[in-house]
Amino acid sequence: MSKLLRRALKISIVPAILLIAGKFLGILCTSIIYNLNFQISNDLNGLFSVQIYFPDASTTLFVNSISNLVMVLFVALPLAYFIIKTTLYHTVANNPRTIVKMTRFNMLKWITAKDTSFLTMFIWCAFLWIASGVTIAHTLQGSTYPWVGIVAGSLALIASLFTIKTFEIETDNIYPTEHKYY
Amino acid sequence: MPSQKAQKFKKVLSLVVEPIALGVLALLFIIPTVTVMNLSPITKKLQELNVLGANTQSTISITLVGGKHEVFTEENLNKDSDTTYSYSTKLNKRAADSYSKPAVEIKNNTDKAQKVSFYGQTLNQTQSNIRIIADEKSYKIQDDKGQTFMQEITVAPTSKVVVFLSIENLTGIQFSEEFDMQIKVVENL
Repeated sequence: MSKLLRRALKISIVPAILLIAGKFLGILCTSIIYNLNFQISNDLNGLFSVQIYFPDASTTLFVNSISNLVMVLFVALPLAYFIIKTTLYHTVANNPRTIVKMTRFNMLKWITAKDTSFLTMFIWCAFLWIASGVTIAHTLQGSTYPWVGIVAGSLALIASLFTIKTFEIETDNIYPTEHKYY
Repeated sequence: MPSQKAQKFKKVLSLVVEPIALGVLALLFIIPTVTVMNLSPITKKLQELNVLGANTQSTISITLVGGKHEVFTEENLNKDSDTTYSYSTKLNKRAADSYSKPAVEIKNNTDKAQKVSFYGQTLNQTQSNIRIIADEKSYKIQDDKGQTFMQEITVAPTSKVVVFLSIENLTGIQFSEEFDMQIKVVENL
């Protein structure tokens, strides 16, 4: 098995679990915090037979919106951490002032090559696209608040731009541009 | 020689494992997506929820058979009162043919025969003949002109009857439609 595939498999497990956990915990926590009645029952129409039922449409809309937001944040926050880490790691190489600032804030431990690869960011970004896609689809169907769909879409767009930036940096390392290195 | 064999074995093994690993990677993306979509909550009256498998205290119990079917989907059975149930299903687009599916199971727990009536219709006129089949007898519920008929079946004491919903259309139907049916326990005989 190729090293790339093995790494891709290893990286994909955590965001896959977080995606499901985010949605499930979002529903569970919202129901507990707001003391909402819900029922888990069987419905043999979908791919899975288990369904969560709420008594009225406004409650369903509220719970679905919050759970979608939690799901998106569960994937977006670690990705934001990777983006910041990657940005710092690459900035430090060209800018000594950043090292001074990071020393002042006791953040030198952040300057490591770990979790700064394009593959990690691409896989996490792909899961963020999935989470945002589901949220936007729910928004279009009217089962999620529009602002949740907008937030999810914006986060996916910003994350995509940073992922592309990381890809450019990594390709620069492999094929340096002439004016920079020769 | 043994190292050569081992290397060959390793090469063959990697050839087998690689497609499986690719499949697993694809599943790691597909399963969370489907799970998350399926976890999205649905609105339903909790007290009068789908009575799939529920056994009530009343003398006669009606339960949804359930299961998957290409044409009949989103089946629901709600108990409106002690003697009245409402059944609904979505009839999907279909080719010209006849289709049937077990819809509800009626269980008579009493020592007397019970009469149960059926009255159902689609929202749109679809030139389909809709029938129910019980004990190998067919009862017309709605004809191809949209006319509806109330039908009654008799359930013998301490016995159960599986009622099939059957639909027949001579031309292909290119849209989905809702079918609602009221099931009522009429009387003890």
